[in-house]
Amino acid sequence: MLIVEICMGTCCHLMGAQDLLDVLDALPADQRRLIEFKGVTCFKNCGKGPSVKINGNFLANATPELLFEVLQTNLQ
Amino acid sequence: MTLHAEVNIAQLCKTGEELCGDNVQITRTADSLIVVVSDGLGSGVKANILATLTTKIASSMLARGASLDDVVETIAQTLPVCRERKIAYSTLQILRIDHFGNATLVEFDSPRTLLSRAGHVMPFPAQTKTVGGKTVLAGHFELQEDDWVVLVSDGVIHAGIGGLLPLGLGWEGLAARLAEDVVNATDTSDICKSLLSCCEGYYLGKPGDDTTVVAVKVRRPRRLNLMMGPPVASEHDADVVRRFLAAPGQKVVSGGTTATLVSRVIGKPLKVSLEYHDPNVPPIAYLDGIDLVTEGVLTLNAAVDRLRAIPELRRSTRKDGASLVARLLMDVDHIHIWAGGAVNPAHQNPLLPSDMNIKLQVLGRLRTQLEALGKIVQIEWV
Repeated sequence: MLIVEICMGTCCHLMGAQDLLDVLDALPADQRRLIEFKGVTCFKNCGKGPSVKINGNFLANATPELLFEVLQTNLQ
Repeated sequence: MTLHAEVNIAQLCKTGEELCGDNVQITRTADSLIVVVSDGLGSGVKANILATLTTKIASSMLARGASLDDVVETIAQTLPVCRERKIAYSTLQILRIDHFGNATLVEFDSPRTLLSRAGHVMPFPAQTKTVGGKTVLAGHFELQEDDWVVLVSDGVIHAGIGGLLPLGLGWEGLAARLAEDVVNATDTSDICKSLLSCCEGYYLGKPGDDTTVVAVKVRRPRRLNLMMGPPVASEHDADVVRRFLAAPGQKVVSGGTTATLVSRVIGKPLKVSLEYHDPNVPPIAYLDGIDLVTEGVLTLNAAVDRLRAIPELRRSTRKDGASLVARLLMDVDHIHIWAGGAVNPAHQNPLLPSDMNIKLQVLGRLRTQLEALGKIVQIEWV
């Protein structure tokens, strides 16, 4: 199981955190089952948002494309 | 016990007039509510100017602590004289209610103000006295929870003349109608609407006079506490959160860091909702014991915009954080804002648009808008 935490704080929201949720819909169903998405209020990394944590590993300046790529790497 | 006086107005203009010749001013001072109603001589612009002058003079003087006698005397001496009729004239009703329910009323030449308690309707108790050469009615009364006070202009008493009722509705007719209406009314807007639509009906949709209803209901204040931002000194965190939780009324926490802090102090998990309803407002979160948890500045900034369009807010079923917080704020009387003085590192990001950076600015807008809606706002910096 892959735990993906997305920051929903002010800064990350403005930098496009909501778009990261679209990655959810783009995933094939069999992959989606392997991922648990969580919202987090703040990672205290506001200058480098949007921030995502994948199984505890930090991903700064995340974009939907970058997140998709990292998820694919982690799922393999 | 502290009481809150809720007030609402409804008006009809005389047929063919664009301006109402009746004017109402509502002022809230630190310790009381002041309602001034005036019906100017004639109708249209001249009446409107007379009535507005009267109410403005009275409410500004009263808000600055002038006595009721001084107000009546000043108005009697300063109103402009009508060129045709050679008189200066407007009616005057002043109602002042403090936070303990003590009500003072002064009436000059207006229909008797109505008082309703436990379904019974009676004239507001008052005696005649002479002030500045004018005979006025003045009275004091101690209001209780769920009492109603209704002030009307003579357009209400005369409703129906030229329409359905040859002699008009009359004071007794109005009192009977009010006695029926208060049974099912939940707030002052219900009474205003029902009395005014009754008048409009009797006038057959063509009011023969400017018609004004002001309804006041005394009830326990509804309170809300809004915490925004962590305290300036982190060693006070737990203390401030405990005081916040112990305060009476609903609890709203705005801001991710603040929510995390509250969650830590009360030892309950914070769950961020991933459903989003509005791309401009970040998602809300859930925390046991807190009525609503939202993001901070963006949500409150959007909530101010929602509060600027109350009818739309009432109609909408939007569930974004800003609409949810705006709906809670719209329905309460006293709002205690617990503003944390800690500097938010997130707001120091130079990439952020400059108009949202400061908490202060959002709080200022929120306060102005809430006060414009008649709410009592207290900001406590923690």
